[in-house]
Amino acid sequence: MSLFSMLATSLISIVGITILLALVGKVPINYSIRNLIVRWPISLMTALAFTMVIGVLIVMLAFVNGMYKLTESSGHPENIIVLSDGATDEIFSNLGYTDVSEIEFNPGVSRDELGKPLTSWETYVIVNQPIPEHARKGDRRRRFIQVRGILDPARSGIVHHLVLKSGDWFSTGDAGGGVREVTVSEPGKEPKKVNATEAVLGQGIAKEIGPDYMKPSLEVGDVFNMGDKYWVVAGIMDSGGSTFDSEIWAKWKTVAERFGKVTYTTLVIKTDSKEVAYATATDIVKNFKKAALQAFVETDYYDKLNNTNKQFLVAILFVAAVVAIGGVFGIMNTMFAAISQRSKDIGVLRIVGFAPWQILVSFFLEAILLSFFGGVLGCIVGSFADGFTASSIMSSGAGGGKNILLRLTVDMKLIFSGILFAVAMGMVGGFLPAISAMRIKPLESLR
Amino acid sequence: MNNIEKYLLELLDSPLQLGALILGMIAFLAIIVFANSYLFYFRLMFLNLRRNIIRTSLTAIASIVLVFVVTLVWTVLWFLNLVTSEKAKDFKAIITEKWQIPSQMPYAYEASLSEGAPGQEGDYKIDKSVDAMTWQFYGATIDPEKKTRDNIIFFFSMEPMKMTKMMDGMEEYSASQLDQLNKLCEEMVKDKRKIIVGTERLQAINKKVGERIKLTSFNYKGIDLEVEIIGSFPEGRYNQSAILNRDYLNDSLDDYNRKNPNSKHPMSNRNLNLVWIRVPDKDVFQKVERQITDSPSFTSPAVKVETASSGISTFLDAYRDLLWGLRWILAPFILATMALIIAVAISISVRERRKEIAVMKVIGFTPIQILFLVLGEAVMVGGFSGLVSSIATTMVINNVFGGIKFPIAFFPIFMIPIDAIWWGPAIGISTALGGSLLPSLSACRVKVSEVFARTS
Amino acid sequence: MSENIVVRVENLTKSFSRGSEKIDVLEELTLEVESGEFLALMGPSGSGKTTLLNIIAGLDTPTSGTVTVGKNLISKMSESMLASWRTRHVGFVFQFYHLLPVLTAYENVELPLLLLPMTRAQRKVQVMNVLDLVGLSGRINHIPGQLSGGQQQRVGIARAIVTDPELIVADEPTGDLDSKSADEILDLMGVLQKTLGKTIIMVTHDPRSAARAQRVLQLEKGKLVKDSRNFSYVTGNAGN
Repeated sequence: MSLFSMLATSLISIVGITILLALVGKVPINYSIRNLIVRWPISLMTALAFTMVIGVLIVMLAFVNGMYKLTESSGHPENIIVLSDGATDEIFSNLGYTDVSEIEFNPGVSRDELGKPLTSWETYVIVNQPIPEHARKGDRRRRFIQVRGILDPARSGIVHHLVLKSGDWFSTGDAGGGVREVTVSEPGKEPKKVNATEAVLGQGIAKEIGPDYMKPSLEVGDVFNMGDKYWVVAGIMDSGGSTFDSEIWAKWKTVAERFGKVTYTTLVIKTDSKEVAYATATDIVKNFKKAALQAFVETDYYDKLNNTNKQFLVAILFVAAVVAIGGVFGIMNTMFAAISQRSKDIGVLRIVGFAPWQILVSFFLEAILLSFFGGVLGCIVGSFADGFTASSIMSSGAGGGKNILLRLTVDMKLIFSGILFAVAMGMVGGFLPAISAMRIKPLESLR
Repeated sequence: MNNIEKYLLELLDSPLQLGALILGMIAFLAIIVFANSYLFYFRLMFLNLRRNIIRTSLTAIASIVLVFVVTLVWTVLWFLNLVTSEKAKDFKAIITEKWQIPSQMPYAYEASLSEGAPGQEGDYKIDKSVDAMTWQFYGATIDPEKKTRDNIIFFFSMEPMKMTKMMDGMEEYSASQLDQLNKLCEEMVKDKRKIIVGTERLQAINKKVGERIKLTSFNYKGIDLEVEIIGSFPEGRYNQSAILNRDYLNDSLDDYNRKNPNSKHPMSNRNLNLVWIRVPDKDVFQKVERQITDSPSFTSPAVKVETASSGISTFLDAYRDLLWGLRWILAPFILATMALIIAVAISISVRERRKEIAVMKVIGFTPIQILFLVLGEAVMVGGFSGLVSSIATTMVINNVFGGIKFPIAFFPIFMIPIDAIWWGPAIGISTALGGSLLPSLSACRVKVSEVFARTS
Repeated sequence: MSENIVVRVENLTKSFSRGSEKIDVLEELTLEVESGEFLALMGPSGSGKTTLLNIIAGLDTPTSGTVTVGKNLISKMSESMLASWRTRHVGFVFQFYHLLPVLTAYENVELPLLLLPMTRAQRKVQVMNVLDLVGLSGRINHIPGQLSGGQQQRVGIARAIVTDPELIVADEPTGDLDSKSADEILDLMGVLQKTLGKTIIMVTHDPRSAARAQRVLQLEKGKLVKDSRNFSYVTGNAGN
């Protein structure tokens, strides 16, 4: 049963039980609603306390949700990612071509129409880039850029299911392929002709670097500086919603030489299906003797990278639980006060013949109504966070990590969680007061 | 006592904090004088709070709990702010590879970089016997068959004697703890095979001090070392860390290369990760930075020099949005929630006492006095809860849990600073004032005619 | 007048214990009330008159002795049985009206009917009937805050009779009213007795209210000390 359906079912059952109780309880629900409205300042303040708690919870969960969505859309179940043994992250991986290339003969590897294996040979490096003063936000002086040296960009595009939004893949010919002569005009200096290496950028990183050059985003044809070299944008990837959004791809040879990493870090293999991928991965790990390798089905690999996400989730739930205590006590106060103010009403209800449990239900429902209202408001407030981008890190926790840009995502799952959480708080907080209401002795309350 | 002394000295350093402290002391004296002449008010406030123990306790507990959360959040932010803010004197700089991470430089760079690359007459020379430290990261497993997270160790490989002189956080240890560590380092110098491992890491790999283990490296493949665990760090930020004598690593690497003259080890020219140097002030820093970046010796790979705080800033960059959210969304919302909870409790209490307030006015109390009374009740609950919370939080988290374990970058643990003790009351008082403002205004506007009102 | 006995109290004792002390609020009381009687219970404060009223009305149970109202032996009933019994068989009128301040006059009167198996339309008929009887059909949507003391008490009376109970108990119904309103309320209660044949037991301090009753019982220290009748009726014995 998916999380969504569990949440939906719980919410619907709670609403259903509430309505049922209201009907069976017979103390008119009008009475509760009117009392809440008559004492509207206190009711409103209590509901707002709930709004704050739920609003914050929704925003925090939207962040975590965004991370999960990113990893979901970054891995493909029919792909295998191969790293060298012992590498906890691509950064630490070293694959020697001569040793490892025999993998391409594995029957599980998919081939294109020409019979060439659909594999992507990559060298992943992280480059430090200074941010010019005018583009700095706060005192952020440098950024880390993820650069991937790619042997055959078109093939890699197929393997990773990436298409270009604009421009072309960079050329890879040995004889000067992938390099263009461009004119660079730096502010305050004479324009000059330089050799710039072609690169393809993810949408996210293009937007990130754009302000360095006084543009909202880098576009095809723009020249930028990285690692003391000039680069020209040959194309922009349509990569939104995946980790490749924050990457720069360029000709492998240039990247390897410029950044001193002459081995491959990563090999991604496309297979025909998830089952074939699993079988092939197991086969590689067990039987490939020429080099010590790790092979993961891509979705599993990204799942492991969710480790930081899981830690955030735990921290968020901890904070939410603690803050919930505050909310619960707040509503307890409100309900206790309401009951002591209305103890004569309760006495009359008992005298007229309403049973103690019906009194309990009435006040319990009042607490639920209040918390439900506050919770719904909180969900509305929290949902304004939807769509904002935030930077974070994805890592397996054992060193290394990808800088990623995620989109805060508020979906129905979150809304249901928020409302359920609010109602649960209301139930816990309303329970003791409702019990005390039930125990009011009719005679004493009227003296 | 050590901590408190240090704290007071720090306080005297900053004029703003000193000013605030003096103001606070004046306010405190004023309250005492005031309280004496207006003791009746305080007694009345206290009695009013005592009327409904349940309500006062619920409000107090809710406040304690919320201040607890805010204290945790502010501790993380405070600490990160501390390590990323530029210091003026006696700070550290780090030298790393210019473009890439992980930073990997040839060990040959060490000799010159540790001195600040002095090249000509008049250049500044770092005293590398006390003010420089190198780091080489060595990662290994003790069980090459089954590699799990629980049997790997990441080592900072360095000169043992530099540990207590140059590593961060040494000021938090007591004199006897430092003494102990120094002794361990001396032993490490005498026998390069000896290592120190943090207590939590020891537990994870299921080993004890005194045992000998065999390390199978995964980033220095083929360079496997046999070591003896001779000690551990005191509780704190180094619980998961381990120190290895750099001579052992470098000598083993040289051995390997001698045995394999035709295929040198891939890490041969990438075995120096970081160089730390300590500079007395910003001018010297800039001079040394110039010296290093102008030097022709460090071109392939190129290196960069930055202050430690700047380096950490860049590292934390990925978390900037998360931290922004903590500072400007989470904390403020929690404070607002606290204000609302206090507001509810005070509103209820005012509503219940409308007739009494009317009677007080009949007798002759002015609206301002009524306002003061109600505000005072709120401040009492808020301030007291805040104080209790921050004291309890600081004591329990620091001493029982050893700090806050928040998964950010490479910071294993955040200790709550002693400043937190005044955060609590400050939060409590300000949220109490904010939350009870409207109800107290309503209280002071009760009309005398309400004395004769029927039960509503 | 019929010889039907509505309330029969036999050897009723009610004691409270305060720590180790035992206080007898009512001592071996025996009493009969006939159908259609309008009875006033008087006595100094502490005499136990309110306690007696509460026991007869099913709000409290005796320490010993029996109480029968109509066909029901209420002294042996459990709390939950008493609750549902009260709805159908007793109507209450209080000194301070005790209307629910957030409900309208209509809704306040309707309240006991919600516990009976009636449709909305059926309830409406009942409620409008009694509101008409008490003369408030023009104010059914007013909340108590918008009604005068006398009007509120009339709503209270309407609520008391809406389930057509045989017994009405009133605890100082005119205690909080000016003399004009008090008279109106007492007139109304007289109508209930004569027109609807309700049996009314009223606790009061006020001799003028007592004068409206047919029969006055005087309590002192938990014992019945006087039982007189204001009007002569051909009745049987009714205790001493």
